[in-house]
Amino acid sequence: MENATPALFFAGIDIGSTMSKAVVVDAQGAMRGYVVGPTGAEHRRRANKVMEDVLLKVGITLDQVAYIISTGYGRVNVPFADKQVTELTCHARGVASLFPDVRTAIDIGGQDAKVLKIKSGRLTDFLTNDKCAAGTGRFLEVAAETLGLELNEMGQISLQSDTPVKINSLCTIFAQQEIISRLSEGQPLTDILAGVYIAVTTRVVKLARQLKVEPPVVFTGGVAKNSGMVKAMETVLGMPVLVPEEPLITGALGAAILARDEAFKLVQDGHYKIQKKQLSEAYIEFTEKKL
Amino acid sequence: MVTATTKGLSRAHEIYADRGKRVRELRKAGKKIIGYICLYPPIEIITAMGMVPFRIFGDMSEPITVADKVSTTVVCPFLRSIIDLGIKGKFDFLDGAVGAHTCDIGMTTIIAWRDYIKDAPFTHLIDVPHTDHAPAVDYFEGQINFFKQHIEELAGEKLSGDKLKKACELHNKQRKLVRDLYDLRKSDPPRLNSMENLEVMVSLFSLPVEEGNELLEAVIREVKERSIKPAKKKARLLVWGPVFDNTSLYELVESTGADVVVDDTCVGTRAFWADVKAPYDLHALAQRYLVDIKCPRTYRDTQHQETERSYDKDLDSRFSYIKKAVTDWHVNGVVLQSVKYCDTHGYEVPNLRHYLDTLGIPSIYIEHDYSERSLAPIKTRVEAFVETLG
Amino acid sequence: MSETATPSKTEKKRAINRLKSMYPLRNVVQQDYIDTLKASNEGKPTVWSMLNYWEGDLPLKAMGLNIVYPENYATLLAASGAAEPFLDASDSDGFPTHMCGYGRSTIGYSYRMMKENGGKIPPDAPLGGMAKPALLLGSGIICDARFKWFQSLARYFDAPEWCLEMPMMATYEGSEPDLEAYQVKFLVKELKDFIAFLEKLFKQKMDWAKLEELTDLAVKIHETTYKISELRQSIPGPMHATDFWSSMPPSLFFAGDMKVSLKCYQDMLAEVQERVNNKVSGINYPERYRLIFAELPPWHSLKFFDSLAEMGWNFVFESFGYHAPKPPDLSKYSDPCEKLARLSRNFMFNVFPEAKADNIQNPIVETYLKIARGFKADGFFMHPLISCRAASCSLRTVQHWEQEKLDVPSLWVEGDIIDKRVFNPQEVLARAEAFEQTMDHYRKVRKSRGLDW
Ligand code: SF4
Ligand code: SF4
Repeated sequence: MENATPALFFAGIDIGSTMSKAVVVDAQGAMRGYVVGPTGAEHRRRANKVMEDVLLKVGITLDQVAYIISTGYGRVNVPFADKQVTELTCHARGVASLFPDVRTAIDIGGQDAKVLKIKSGRLTDFLTNDKCAAGTGRFLEVAAETLGLELNEMGQISLQSDTPVKINSLCTIFAQQEIISRLSEGQPLTDILAGVYIAVTTRVVKLARQLKVEPPVVFTGGVAKNSGMVKAMETVLGMPVLVPEEPLITGALGAAILARDEAFKLVQDGHYKIQKKQLSEAYIEFTEKKL
Repeated sequence: MVTATTKGLSRAHEIYADRGKRVRELRKAGKKIIGYICLYPPIEIITAMGMVPFRIFGDMSEPITVADKVSTTVVCPFLRSIIDLGIKGKFDFLDGAVGAHTCDIGMTTIIAWRDYIKDAPFTHLIDVPHTDHAPAVDYFEGQINFFKQHIEELAGEKLSGDKLKKACELHNKQRKLVRDLYDLRKSDPPRLNSMENLEVMVSLFSLPVEEGNELLEAVIREVKERSIKPAKKKARLLVWGPVFDNTSLYELVESTGADVVVDDTCVGTRAFWADVKAPYDLHALAQRYLVDIKCPRTYRDTQHQETERSYDKDLDSRFSYIKKAVTDWHVNGVVLQSVKYCDTHGYEVPNLRHYLDTLGIPSIYIEHDYSERSLAPIKTRVEAFVETLG
Repeated sequence: MSETATPSKTEKKRAINRLKSMYPLRNVVQQDYIDTLKASNEGKPTVWSMLNYWEGDLPLKAMGLNIVYPENYATLLAASGAAEPFLDASDSDGFPTHMCGYGRSTIGYSYRMMKENGGKIPPDAPLGGMAKPALLLGSGIICDARFKWFQSLARYFDAPEWCLEMPMMATYEGSEPDLEAYQVKFLVKELKDFIAFLEKLFKQKMDWAKLEELTDLAVKIHETTYKISELRQSIPGPMHATDFWSSMPPSLFFAGDMKVSLKCYQDMLAEVQERVNNKVSGINYPERYRLIFAELPPWHSLKFFDSLAEMGWNFVFESFGYHAPKPPDLSKYSDPCEKLARLSRNFMFNVFPEAKADNIQNPIVETYLKIARGFKADGFFMHPLISCRAASCSLRTVQHWEQEKLDVPSLWVEGDIIDKRVFNPQEVLARAEAFEQTMDHYRKVRKSRGLDW
């Protein structure tokens, strides 16, 4: 292994509370491939799986990956990672790599939400919400269940509404009751849905306001795929938002880019070989576990 | 000599693990142990009467189970923990409990102690005025005097000026030694970490002042002889906030790749910056406690009687001691921590953060409910904060 | 004001039998906001003050200064459903969310005024809003929030602040008779400094004669309100808690012209006396249960008391912290500052001497034991607040001792003065129904113990 061909790839793995993502970048920092899959209960197994999948997708082997950074809520459960970095730093880096001028990033995940302030590509300040489900993707799930819809159907339907219903309750349980009573009052589904989006985004925007929202604003996380949510976000914020093509993977992307930066720094400091050896050991462990 | 030098930190570790051990022994030998809450009861008087002041802390790892019959859930969980432990009989080695009106719930804790905790038959509550106005200092001197009279009754003897002077000198010596100890963390990396430091501090609050001073001297000798590990970390932090009597928070912060090099908390430096000044009388005590201790519970009227007010000047006179610590300990980030439901510290947060902003020092505010469980979710935020400093 | 005794037809349909004499008192405070704003537009200074149990109110009024009470204004924000944007603004400026709802909403008010609206009153502020302060008068009485919150307002205003002092609430230590002189001495010194500061700040002399005149009026007002409170012990309870909350500002912080207020309270006393003579109740349904409300009400949901009145629940007394005690005899003192000091101090210390009777150290507990006995309470409605410690922290102990000593049970309902999210009226009503059985049960227990209600 000592004399193996210099590896050209770097990976980031983001084990979120509901979804796991992996991204591979090359020495230039360009993305070469990514995968997304559900996290499930067993983080370690999931980490191995997404890593394996992304290697397959890019068509490389693990020993070609010089450095791996894990991030997200399950970041400690990635045995083959060289380093762990918080999802806040990784998101900021990932978003800034796609939108270099970004000043504010809003991420709504399955069970949390975060707001990042970014300057010259660096995270400068942040806030998170993990206590209140009303400001997270969880709230949308509950609403979808209550309305008997699939999550991915939701966005398109609501776009047709100009008069969103007001959902006052901030507690998920109360809000659920409210949705039911709006339905029974005969309010149109589209208006109720649009109301749900406004309620979730209002919650998150409140958080964002604490850090003073500055444009350009980038909106990420699973729910940013939902066009109804994007519209609601723009309405509540009162300014346009940018959405990456694949809004789920910015954390993993940032981790991969940070992995590249870190590896380069180690080369400069002369620590690279040591890391490389550790990497090989982790690889052996990883393949053994697989068997 | 060798044993003496190695004994400091391990002794502190022992006392930290069982705070009541030494005072129980002393009590068996006939000493009176007087528990107190917060920094405001003048412990010099307790020492001078030949008794042992013992700071009452809570226990983060013990779930609160019986305090609900006395208090609502939306009050300071640290004080709730104290009431909980008290009802469970965990302070059965105390001969007395002294509280002060340092905050509202601090006051009601002592009142509740009287009605619900039958250990420690002697209780006393000292009123602490809210401002540092001159009439307030006089009034506070009167409060100290009532406390003195009450404790004289318990002791069955009068307090002499000589004894008080001697006690003041002993406590001043302790303050000086603590400052020396903190000086050892000015180096990069610091010579002792924040967990070790806290164990020493908690020990000081659990021992008679002379024994505390011996411990400090031993620890300082031991730490000075240590070789510094070369591994520097990327952040040097100051931790601010109310009482934190448990190493777990420091462990959490240091595990994110930062050194905590100094603090402004009431188990750390807050009680040790200011000495009692000559002539060591009750007025000097009033001055030291009410005016010289810098805690958000006192409204320090920095622009007293001035009709024009400057916010910046106000911030500077309230917080410049923190600026000094930031400079002297080469701090590059501040963690503001507080238990939930602490009003005196809560209102301070935006103002202190603003002040730190003007100094160019990044800061983060974290809240917890004084349980080990509530610390875990904070970790990612502290870690990300440290990453922004790196 | 003449036909005070019998409620008119339209009022009869309402669940709560409101006192006619309440309305003019309720209007006083609203008019006060409007007048103060008008005066400010004419260039007169506005003082922002915390409730200070009269030691600050009277000197300010004697100097003819206009005062607003953010603490009271916050209740108006909540009652008119307008609080939310103000709470959000406080959060967005970094104030922790667990703190006093009054504090948060007026911090938010100040933030929006100074940081978002260029120094102008936010357009959605009810009653025209509060003008910018020329002085912030904090107070050390009752809670830590009251001086820390005003200290924080310096973020937005350059106005000077003063923090009034008061010895802590009555306790065993504070109530020794020989301490009284020492406490009064402290207060007098503080008051003299404070008044010197007012003179310097507003470049005008204190009108000492006026101060004495107002102090005398204050005593008369409190004598009257105290008599009303005593009459309320009658069965059926002649005055409902909501009437008290609506009419208290002119006695709690002397809103408006004190001479007019005195007259209004005298009218109220007469009306209550009439009701007592004729056994007229404060609710328009038969009084089935007599309830005491502790401590601060849910300002955002006062309508909720109608539903309880329909069930025959009469709230016969409430919020001891809003009630002026029987005033002390001030005639033997000549220094106006001393009179004032004694008047104020009396609020904190009047209960303790009696407290020793029950051998309980918490003066709030003792106060409520006395109230439960005097008012023959069937139950307590305990309303611990999620954002206020001072008015909530002793409620558990009160509950415990009421049950232990008097067999009076409590209904425990978490809520808040400002934040309505935690309060679910539907659920509380369901629990209230069940609580009736508890009250019935303890009625029997009390009787069997020889208690007379
Ligand atoms: S943490 Fe705050 S509320 Fe608790 S005892 Fe300390 S000052 Fe009082
Ligand atoms: S007593 Fe409670 S509600 Fe009133 S100002 Fe203090 S904290 Fe706020």
